[in-house]
Amino acid sequence: MTRKALVVRLPFGLVLDTPVLSASGCYGAGLEGAAFGDLAALGALVTKTVTPRPRAGNPPPRIYETPCGMLNSIGLENPGVEAFLANDLQRALQQSRPLILNVGGESLEEYEAIVERVQGCGAVALEINLSCPNVQGGALPFSTDPAACELVVRRCRERSTLPFFVKLSPNVSTSLLLEVAAAAEAAGADGLTLINTLLGRAIDWRRRKPRLALGSGGLSGPAIKPVAIHCIASVRAKTRLPILGVGGAASAEDICEFLAAGADAVQVGTAQFRDPLAAVRLVQEVEDLLVGAETSASELTASTRAR
Amino acid sequence: MPQSCLHRVTENRALGGGSFVLRVAGPFEGVRAGQFCMLQSAELWLFLLPRPFSWFDVFEPGDTALRSDEATGAATFLGKVVGPGTARLAALEVGDELHVTGPLGRAWPSVEEGGPEPICIAGGVGLAPFLLWAKEGRAARKPVSLLYGGASAQALPAAGDFAATGADFHYATLDGSRGHRGSVLDLYRDLVGRGLLDGAAPVYCCGPDPMMEAVAAECRERGLRCVVSLETYMACGYGVCNGCTVEVRSAGRFAGRRYVKSCIEGPVFDSEELLWHASTAHG
Repeated sequence: MTRKALVVRLPFGLVLDTPVLSASGCYGAGLEGAAFGDLAALGALVTKTVTPRPRAGNPPPRIYETPCGMLNSIGLENPGVEAFLANDLQRALQQSRPLILNVGGESLEEYEAIVERVQGCGAVALEINLSCPNVQGGALPFSTDPAACELVVRRCRERSTLPFFVKLSPNVSTSLLLEVAAAAEAAGADGLTLINTLLGRAIDWRRRKPRLALGSGGLSGPAIKPVAIHCIASVRAKTRLPILGVGGAASAEDICEFLAAGADAVQVGTAQFRDPLAAVRLVQEVEDLLVGAETSASELTASTRAR
Repeated sequence: MPQSCLHRVTENRALGGGSFVLRVAGPFEGVRAGQFCMLQSAELWLFLLPRPFSWFDVFEPGDTALRSDEATGAATFLGKVVGPGTARLAALEVGDELHVTGPLGRAWPSVEEGGPEPICIAGGVGLAPFLLWAKEGRAARKPVSLLYGGASAQALPAAGDFAATGADFHYATLDGSRGHRGSVLDLYRDLVGRGLLDGAAPVYCCGPDPMMEAVAAECRERGLRCVVSLETYMACGYGVCNGCTVEVRSAGRFAGRRYVKSCIEGPVFDSEELLWHASTAHG
């Protein structure tokens, strides 16, 4: 049954039953979470980043808790696209939730290869991760340089009949973020995902050593929510592209705040670590909030477009 | 099916030295000795990730040890305050709610058919995963032998909870305030040397990393199987954060890769599988 207050219709024809999605890197492909309960309420599952080749990931320690958040330096650990398609994808699709496949790489050629490889795989859309801070020493070459972003997105566009979102980094000035977002739009992105993690570091001063083996990592969790809201609102003022909001959303109030910033849908990430059913539980709570306020998800998002 | 939901605290018992036993009302199903769960106080979850805890004891409905407010069963968790997350758990009061996700991870391996009973070696709150094991031992086999060590008598909490299991306890403290003066490994050598323990039995061990590493080295020299229960930083405990990785000798999950998730492939590992220094750099 479609719930009117929740349904999200995206311009390229994708309809989500609810604006509550799982965030990439925080829920695998939904297989582990499904052991705890029914995931049918989710708007879509966004998979952990899949790369052309298997990646072992970074050395441990990889995570460290910080106030209202956590640092991670996982390093895109994944089995590689061939193993993912052969093993995890089919099981993930059987959960009958729309699947948004997150893909990544380290070079132009890798992005081309992965986008080509996953065409027709059964996902309703792709999310192209241009902004993982835990590879290439946090260099973020494709999400801090508008020209590089435009080039990689154009190459992906040429190779993809699947609609795709481009996931951008907050580790830039607002003006540069707007330039990078405009470059992605000009090159043919169907939507944007805002934001990836913020670069951060924690130090064990007694041992004079960083808490993470590789030094710095990506900060996630409620601590970064105001940054995400700022980035989404700033980009929303300049584009009509669909935006998937992500960054610290953990409650129904948070989801509605993201929508009011201009996000079309909202991904729940770090909160899923606390409870495998966190996002699932939020679906009903968001509906109750929206109905109680006599509004809807699409109306909240549209209110920012009208400005 | 593992669960992820709130449970009501029915007791929080301080044991001294920052250790505590938290008890919550059930139901809890399908828990096996050596498995763990993620614990989180209900109201502070915005600030703190859940913490991994071994299941200490589990009571099925009908167990005579249950109280009047535990008709659906109960479980206990043995912990120690090491930071703000565990401090919050130690401060929970009767009637508060606790979020429990589990059971998670692998259990202690069962005893080989016809093989000797494992010797259990625990340090401090590393005692936790052995209570269910001892209960299983009482039900199915002869009582388990448990060598329990710590810095002082105060660092040996909760041995009293084993009273009903018939476990054969041997204590070691560095200051000599209880049992053998010295390390738990010294105690093991002493008991085996005097013929009071089976020197051919495998060893199951849980405690601080240096202790487990020393026990593993001793077992390697003696040609014994050593199984350890690791404690690693975890964000989720159920396999999605990829944060609890440990390095192993064998191929691991992906061809040519050596990292595995402690929450899924562990927390119980054969010690020979582990690359100790790579896996225990958590401080």
